[in-house]
Amino acid sequence: MTSPTNVIAGSQARLSGRLKSESGSLVLGGALLVVLFVVASLLVEGFASANNIRSILLLAAFLGLASLGQTMVATVGGLDLSIPFVIGSSNILLAYLFGTSIPAPLAILIIAAMGAGIGLLNGILSYRIQGQALILTLGVGFAVVGCAQIFTTLGSQYSGTVFSQVPAWFSNIASISGTTFGLKLPPVILIWAAIALLLIMWINRTKSGRAIYAIGGNRVAASRLQISEFRVWVATYTISGLTAAITGCLLLGFSGGGFVGVGDPYLFTTVAAVVVGGTSLLGGTGGYGATIIGVLVLQVLTSFLVGMGLNYAAQQTVFGLLILPMVALYARSPHIRYQI
Amino acid sequence: MGRFAPNLGHLLVPVCLVLVLGIMAAVRAPQTFTYVGLAGALLVAAPLILAAVAITPIAIAGRGGVDLSIGPLIGFVNVTIVVWLAENGITNPVFVFAYAIAAACVWQVLLACFIIYVRISPIIATLAGFMILQGVNLVILSRPGGFAPEWLSDWGWGTELLSPVLYILIAAFVIWFLFQRTAVFQHIRLMGADERTAYTAGVDIVKARFAAHLIAGVFAGLAALCLTGLIGSGDPTQGNTLTLQAITALVLGGTSLAGGKGGITGSVLGAIAMYLVFVVLSSFNFGAISGFMTQLFYGLMLVISLMLALLANKNRLQPA
Repeated sequence: MTSPTNVIAGSQARLSGRLKSESGSLVLGGALLVVLFVVASLLVEGFASANNIRSILLLAAFLGLASLGQTMVATVGGLDLSIPFVIGSSNILLAYLFGTSIPAPLAILIIAAMGAGIGLLNGILSYRIQGQALILTLGVGFAVVGCAQIFTTLGSQYSGTVFSQVPAWFSNIASISGTTFGLKLPPVILIWAAIALLLIMWINRTKSGRAIYAIGGNRVAASRLQISEFRVWVATYTISGLTAAITGCLLLGFSGGGFVGVGDPYLFTTVAAVVVGGTSLLGGTGGYGATIIGVLVLQVLTSFLVGMGLNYAAQQTVFGLLILPMVALYARSPHIRYQI
Repeated sequence: MGRFAPNLGHLLVPVCLVLVLGIMAAVRAPQTFTYVGLAGALLVAAPLILAAVAITPIAIAGRGGVDLSIGPLIGFVNVTIVVWLAENGITNPVFVFAYAIAAACVWQVLLACFIIYVRISPIIATLAGFMILQGVNLVILSRPGGFAPEWLSDWGWGTELLSPVLYILIAAFVIWFLFQRTAVFQHIRLMGADERTAYTAGVDIVKARFAAHLIAGVFAGLAALCLTGLIGSGDPTQGNTLTLQAITALVLGGTSLAGGKGGITGSVLGAIAMYLVFVVLSSFNFGAISGFMTQLFYGLMLVISLMLALLANKNRLQPA
């Protein structure tokens, strides 16, 4: 997306602004989250109830896991539009595998491996055409979802929907009535929290984690540090494919029936969560912590708007109207005269 | 125009694609190439062709500029023609044409303002635009319905080849080829290839970016008129699907999202290729899976054409 010289020139102008904006976006996003929550609790009856918070967190866990890969990819300056298609495909394929004699844990492993494989393919194919990564991942996504549907439809009279018995322990993980060791909290929320913690520690504390920022910030400097751009680029896409597949599996536990369209809302919402959180799509700034705030802002806002009686269409408009000022506040590119 | 060789080089893949698919369609579904068949094909393919044409100048203008909002924008013009104009008795063709083009241009200018002055990357601005218009369309018209002006819905018969739809497509080509001869177009290409070079060379990049969006608005307005003629009513969601299809057609046509090269001939060929894939696959009896086969082939075509373009450019100097 950006040429090496562009990165050098841009990074100098951005450097001072970036250090400020990185913590700034967290503070701003956090403040927005608190304000939204307070306003919503005052205006909507029962908004701050345990039930409602549980459902917000549950939906946030799905969006958060789906946005994890998108954040990694955006940090190196890419975009992954195959996420919704991988979610939909793994959703129906897992439902299909549950209908066969394959043991459930093995079935989940197979789907996760498939997701990572698709991500790997995305990364390898898009490496040489990074500026067009979003189109390439879109193409791969189309192909994957087409294959998955052909595979599950053959020998079945339902197209796009797969019926099978989801194991009870698996539904418990991801359904709203799920419990963790007797606690009335669906385990998927804790799983999300654990993954988020591990990921943030890995990104911030290890050499391989920092390499992602090095590549996103300045490819020339990164290559001087013996960081392989190819390996980092492919790794981020592999993570993205893996988390999308896991999200698709968990959504099967949530809904109980395989449906390929389950991924569709995640096409642009994952990008919105990343952007609202404060990760720049140009690469090198932001992080998963910011995306978590972005995800929570979007989910609290959704719940608030639903409580106010707004339908899905109006919610989308509000999301769109929210993105512009948020990005204008902390993800503006420098003026062209500072990029020379 | 000393760059004719690379100018036509990007058309190699789409031309071959259309030829191969055209021959397959002629064998599998010969009725496509009868007089009535062609008239119908033209009518059905026109909105996609014009949508793909509309996003071409924005992609050429660079910064990874792909207009995600094109589908909902076409939907917006469609529902407003039906709800705001036709229901209030405003059916004068000249006025409806002027309205459609003006509305689409105003939207594109708004987007351009955000991209130029607020300095948001185009993909985010158009993503926000996609979400906003998607909702607005459903607020204006909550479900498909209403009636287009009679002269417009008459286009939907699709039995005559020499129809207004054909004239609109010809007009779009004429507008584009006149536009290509202007200095502004060369500036857009230079800006798309390397914005800093263009700026230091004294190109008015603000004007160039506005021009790219304005010409896109003209084509988007025409696309909306063709869509309204095709369905003869208002549909708030029909347009949304055009976004991904138009981007697919654009890339199949060899226009690079990296900016600086491409043209509407490629986008038109890309859109025709997509239509032909649909025709060829429908001629097989895939039954329940035919829709999935189409999706699979769109995906494979996208990936393969990107890889072919990469191989074709390998020996040319390319920025990373």
